[in-house]
Amino acid sequence: MNQRWLKSLYWLLLIPAILFLVLFFLLPLILLVEVSFRKVDRMLDILPSFGLDQYMQIFTSPIYGHMMIDGLRVAALTAVICILLAYPAAYGLVRAPNRLVRTILYIILVSPLLNSVVVRTFAWIVLLSNNGLINQFLHWLGVINHPLSLLWNMKAVIVAYVQVLLPFAVLPISTSLADIHPSLRHVSMSLGAGRLQTFLRITLPLTIPGLISGSMIVFSLAAGSYITPLLIGGSAQPLWSLNIYQQAIQIDDLPLAAAMSLLLLFTVLIIIMALGYVLRRWEKRVYG
Amino acid sequence: MVEHGASTGVTSPKKVNWINILLWTCTVLIYAFLALPVIVVVLSAFSPTPFPQFPPTHVSIKWFLAVLNNSEWMDAFRISLILLVIVTPVTVILGTLAAYGISRLEFRGRQVIQALMLSPLMMPEITLGIMLLYAFTLFGFVGTIWALVIGHTLVAFPYVVRTVSVSLAGLDRTLEDASMNLGAGPVVTFRQVTLPLMRPGIIAGAVFASVTSFGEVSVSLLVNGPQTITIPVRIYNYIQQTFDPSVNAVSVIFVVLAIGTLVVIERRFGLTRVL
Repeated sequence: MNQRWLKSLYWLLLIPAILFLVLFFLLPLILLVEVSFRKVDRMLDILPSFGLDQYMQIFTSPIYGHMMIDGLRVAALTAVICILLAYPAAYGLVRAPNRLVRTILYIILVSPLLNSVVVRTFAWIVLLSNNGLINQFLHWLGVINHPLSLLWNMKAVIVAYVQVLLPFAVLPISTSLADIHPSLRHVSMSLGAGRLQTFLRITLPLTIPGLISGSMIVFSLAAGSYITPLLIGGSAQPLWSLNIYQQAIQIDDLPLAAAMSLLLLFTVLIIIMALGYVLRRWEKRVYG
Repeated sequence: MVEHGASTGVTSPKKVNWINILLWTCTVLIYAFLALPVIVVVLSAFSPTPFPQFPPTHVSIKWFLAVLNNSEWMDAFRISLILLVIVTPVTVILGTLAAYGISRLEFRGRQVIQALMLSPLMMPEITLGIMLLYAFTLFGFVGTIWALVIGHTLVAFPYVVRTVSVSLAGLDRTLEDASMNLGAGPVVTFRQVTLPLMRPGIIAGAVFASVTSFGEVSVSLLVNGPQTITIPVRIYNYIQQTFDPSVNAVSVIFVVLAIGTLVVIERRFGLTRVL
């Protein structure tokens, strides 16, 4: 009797959150799917009839295919660079000589996550713009006479992405680095393996889970973000997420933006699920 | 074999040092890369000229005063603070109750509910934004404060569920059983045993919820209206047109808040324990 009473109490605790998510997450998602199949008239007003027009437009015009692939490529490149930089950064965090150094590194790493993306992106504008600090610095050194055009290109977008998203890669890798028992490395080294060999055969395999979950987070955040590329790269960059924003806000073609958003969601989910599958296979192989 | 092991033991220190130096150099460079933009923003907030100058000439706080005397910045602060005050408790209560309820229930489809609770985190920002923009247009919410409250709560909710779930996973159920066996009812047990043990998770969740709400821009930018411009959206609009160091001055507030929060957490709980 008491058990049943408790059980209904637990359900009661769960219900507000479920209700909230159904009303403001699942219902909007269903509405988004619905509107992506609606027909529009010439003024882009949404008609009550349904069709595949938006999807046909996306799949038949080559522009969209290129944009999708470019968007995914930039996100993948960002994830790879983040992972490469994350290892030394995680190493520093785990092997910091004392608590003060570790705390400082931790604050440098985590405080950006508590900061607004818009502020962190703005910092790159201050650095990279024509009258920005890098150009002023180079001019002051006498290296250049005319300011270099550092902003408004995809390289700048990637640099800013890497800086904004790097902490998401470092944290899972440092967690899995810290979990490795130090004796494993000592055993490997005392059996004659060099540091590189120990890293490749002991440390790297054991941090693969952290590496995969880090790249999942970085990839999906980079693929879906539009603020950073809009501010750094400008609205002309052929990125999928950026184009969704433009379709919805500037061109006001909501059904097309909806179809594009859903394709993005679908693609990101497939890639994440594939990485998740690799992760499970790997864990099975390593831990049995 | 033994000899071989011993010989590497003798020759390795020199090699190890080189690798160490290289590794630490990389580490320092990477952390410098992470910290550099923030340092630049903070330093140039004190520049007296309309464009941040290098090398800096004078120190001035005129941009901070300019922000304080600008009614649009102050309106944005007001909206952001109102949101923070509503969103943080709502998200913490919703998330804590949900995490607690689901951790105590066994049923088929439990994993589906768990996945649903974390799924706003998995969704690409732009998809989430467009989805809410369309739904809120239909509901007539766009431009009201409720559009932002719901959007921010949705974005912050998974963080709270996750931090609270982590602290619940480490909770020893026998402590609750012991309390019940000693005659305390479920309510007293919850208040005296469970709640204190969940506290680090709840506090971490509250911190995440409030910073998420205060800094959120990608959903806000799509569902806000002229009367509900938050600080990050205003920063965004401002840099889209032109910028002067008043944006830097506002950014300093974000930097100070972020670092201050972390220092407080470190002092009270130890960073690695909470995050």
